[in-house]
Amino acid sequence: MKQQLYLWRKIKDKGMSQLIGLSALMMVGILFLILGYIFIKGVSALNWDFFTQLPKPVGEAGGGMANAIVGSFILLGLACSFSLPLGILAGIYLSEFGRNQLGTTVRFAADLLTGLPSIVVGIFIYTLIVLPMKGFSAIAGGIALGIIMVPVITRTTEEMMKIIPLTIREAALALGIREWRTILSVVLPAALPGIITGIMLAIARAAGETAPLLFTALGNRFWHSGLDQPIAALPLQIFTYAISPYEDWHAQAWAGALVLIILVLGLSIATRFLTRGRYYFMR
Amino acid sequence: MFRKLTLILLLLFLLALIGCGKPATRPILINGAGATFPYPLYSKWFDEYAKIRPEIRFNYQSIGSGAGIRQIIERTVDFGATDAPMTDEQLQRAKAEILHIPTVLGAVVVTYNIPELTKPLQLTPETLSAIFLGHLTRWNDSRLVKTNPGVALPDKEITIVRRSDGSGTTFVFTDYLSSISSEWQTKVGKGTAVNWPSGIGAKGNEGVAGQVKQIPYSIGYVELAYAIQSKLGYAAIQNKDGKFVLPTLESITEAAAATAATIPPDLRTSIINPPGEKAYPIAAYTYILVYKEQDDPMKGKAIAEFLWWAFHRGEKYAADLLYAPLPQNVVKLTEAKIKAISYQGKPLL
Repeated sequence: MKQQLYLWRKIKDKGMSQLIGLSALMMVGILFLILGYIFIKGVSALNWDFFTQLPKPVGEAGGGMANAIVGSFILLGLACSFSLPLGILAGIYLSEFGRNQLGTTVRFAADLLTGLPSIVVGIFIYTLIVLPMKGFSAIAGGIALGIIMVPVITRTTEEMMKIIPLTIREAALALGIREWRTILSVVLPAALPGIITGIMLAIARAAGETAPLLFTALGNRFWHSGLDQPIAALPLQIFTYAISPYEDWHAQAWAGALVLIILVLGLSIATRFLTRGRYYFMR
Repeated sequence: MFRKLTLILLLLFLLALIGCGKPATRPILINGAGATFPYPLYSKWFDEYAKIRPEIRFNYQSIGSGAGIRQIIERTVDFGATDAPMTDEQLQRAKAEILHIPTVLGAVVVTYNIPELTKPLQLTPETLSAIFLGHLTRWNDSRLVKTNPGVALPDKEITIVRRSDGSGTTFVFTDYLSSISSEWQTKVGKGTAVNWPSGIGAKGNEGVAGQVKQIPYSIGYVELAYAIQSKLGYAAIQNKDGKFVLPTLESITEAAAATAATIPPDLRTSIINPPGEKAYPIAAYTYILVYKEQDDPMKGKAIAEFLWWAFHRGEKYAADLLYAPLPQNVVKLTEAKIKAISYQGKPLL
């Protein structure tokens, strides 16, 4: 009897751990399935021209998305230029001074903002910037992407700074270091790898967004001609090509998707590389 | 650590700065947005035009007919584009006169997936409306058998695929159904998005084409180019003169030619169900929308010159991309419209 119970427990244990393991494997499998599918579909249309040429009209072979790739970088640069300072500073406030009514409100607002459908951000910026400026522009697109990034950056900055042990702050304060200096030179650097991961997550999310760009950056068939003019972006170009009836445009859309994924992947691998092995106590 | 972060930030800023750096000779950029349907042709036109006039760049983005109309009203673009002409109410909101310049013709085709079928299905207005109203539900219905003599129609249920998003294609198709069926007109009506009696929704022309391709014994409606590019079958529709006509570039142009005599002066018109033996009954103009009175003489002149070029040199690219050219008599009317584009009351062309 006792032996039997033992066996049954053993079976349950083995079965459950295998189920969990299988689930984990499946999750990774889905990722590789998507990556592999996009790779197979996209790699055939990928060549040097894709990175150096402007899009070609239907019926002409070749052509690329060079303008969209550069455009995406410019838009992300613009988005970062205001969302990084804003997000990080707001995150510092929440973590260090946010134990009050205002902090709770800001935290709640940031969570709401994270869940905001990105098309709503696009329409908001359209009414706020595009209409008064009488035109679509790279600036409007950059701000729309920035708004999507801010709450993610704010919340990760807060969480990352909160997990820095209190003892470290106390050690700094005990040495007579002022509070602002402690935050800036002790807590922030320790939390930086986590914050940077959060930033990368935000950039990766913004890089793939189409909806907020439709009515802000609009898209451009040519090289950008100034930040006050419409600008091309990879997701927009992929979208336009994917809904067309033409095979060669579909192939270009797949290649665009592949490039987008590689860019995002490359970006996060690069940051991991830059920030690795720094703060041991985080492990 | 900080140094590296600063480095990353600096790099990002540099990238943004490259964006600010203006090329030595900044070309005039003319922005347009609107209908998805003519996007392949317009992008071909603008590409060819850039070769002969490199100092002018036309940037056209396909954001949909409704959005195109809205953008030209708000003046966020230099020209708009739409498949359905603007309504009186929309024109009023624009505050200044907007010209409708038809560029090419498009047709909505009834596409289907019946693996057994070897020749095009023939549909009468009655059977077509009955199918989409949900009254005719099987492919071997006696009404369908009657109009398709000698064709073995399968004993299968009809699956209807329709658009789930607002679209000029839906407008043209429901405009047709409303004109031939009073029941459709009262029950469903016409519009860019309607309350469909039945069917599976799909987004965009490519969505409908994809669904029809995947679901055997389904029926849907798409722009001609999508049916041909997706290698789907499409039906011959019985026109006003009682002839079954397949959508071809000739039969579509014929539909416009048949109604050219009665076209209103502002060229806003429907060419649904026209008279004429060879005319395909579900066709429509697609328009470019421009303000008659331009704010910027340089841009206005560039637009007028481009449109003139499109009608005289650009039309030859249309047929290759499955767009039907305008009939000659409509081209004449359109030329007068292009010549009316002016700056401070003076024509620009």
